[in-house]
Amino acid sequence: MNIQKLNVCMDILKKDLGDGFVASCIITTDDGQVLLATDKANVAEATILNDATSLIRSALKTYPAELGQYYYIDAAGNMAVLVIPFGDYQWTVTINKKLVKLGLLLNIVLPAVINAFEDAVVS
Amino acid sequence: MKKDFTLIIDNDELEAVPMANSGIKDELQRWPLFGLSVGSFLQVIAMERQTCIMEVYLNADHWGHFCFVQGELYDAVCGELGGEKAAMEMITWENVRLNIKQILNASGVARKIDKNLMLLLMESSRLHDEIRDEGEEIDDEEVEEAGGIDALEDVEDEARYEKLSVCLETMAKDMGEALVAASISHIDDNKIVASRHDAPEATEAILRLTNFLKKSLADTKAEGLGEYYILDLKDRQSLFVLINDQYQWCVLFKNDKCTLGLLRNVIMPEALKVFNEIKIM
Repeated sequence: MNIQKLNVCMDILKKDLGDGFVASCIITTDDGQVLLATDKANVAEATILNDATSLIRSALKTYPAELGQYYYIDAAGNMAVLVIPFGDYQWTVTINKKLVKLGLLLNIVLPAVINAFEDAVVS
Repeated sequence: MKKDFTLIIDNDELEAVPMANSGIKDELQRWPLFGLSVGSFLQVIAMERQTCIMEVYLNADHWGHFCFVQGELYDAVCGELGGEKAAMEMITWENVRLNIKQILNASGVARKIDKNLMLLLMESSRLHDEIRDEGEEIDDEEVEEAGGIDALEDVEDEARYEKLSVCLETMAKDMGEALVAASISHIDDNKIVASRHDAPEATEAILRLTNFLKKSLADTKAEGLGEYYILDLKDRQSLFVLINDQYQWCVLFKNDKCTLGLLRNVIMPEALKVFNEIKIM
């Protein structure tokens, strides 16, 4: 894992999302420990989503299907959460859905940050 | 307009008409198709996405027509009735004669029926059953044996759930081979109410996931689960889960054949429209 590259990932994300960026957090999936978090990051939420990922993987086995690169949760208020699990790590990004178009997030921002994240993890 | 179909011609009946009665013969020749129920024929036209007028003849006093554009029912006329009322009247007719005329230019055809054809057919079937059952007294003892009012409510629920399959049929029609599996479940009752190629254990697993997200996100800054979540899956598939009031819609689809934008903005609103119509019924 290359920490400098992880910081670069965060920078790309903040730049691409602009005011729509709320918080972000990278944790290890094994023990839920935080590796990197921005100011407003909600660690409890990131840990819950770590459990959610396990539940998703288990639920998908019944189809059968496998989780791909991400999942996106529309939250009740103005927020939405993008979760990118990769290997032993999971990246959680909270956005203001009123300020970030879903199409832009999934088609433009996401491919760029996934590549950067994978590069940082395997380095 | 030009004549398009010549499917089943009832020649026997035509030949039985005496030569002297050429007026009746002409009348029967005007409606050459015979042998299918109105409902069946309507479904064939919808499935084939035909743009045509389907004329229906029951007898000299009862006849009318349906108007289709690209397989969608736009209008119907029957005597003084028009639109949905005319359609509902004619759908129940049996032993009718039919004729199809192709519409070459549909640009001037105004849409007067918004309801999905399948809904009209089911509603018509329900009314037909009600009329048939009219006058029959409910056997109190049988109701008691079956568990009384609760049992009746269960039967009503089952009938409603059966109708909800129409929503998934609407979705399947729009998505074609992009739709892998779909289901509708009642979240609080933990009950699958409609399903299309979706294994019950898969739907139940997603219901558990939805309940987990609802409960766990309620205590976070996210303020709870919103209207939907999307899971990106391997092999170019996606799972779209929509929370609509007490119901969960679960749609597994091939994302290289149908975009998420198309599903969320066009297909789902159409299916939800049908869903809400059924709920109101």
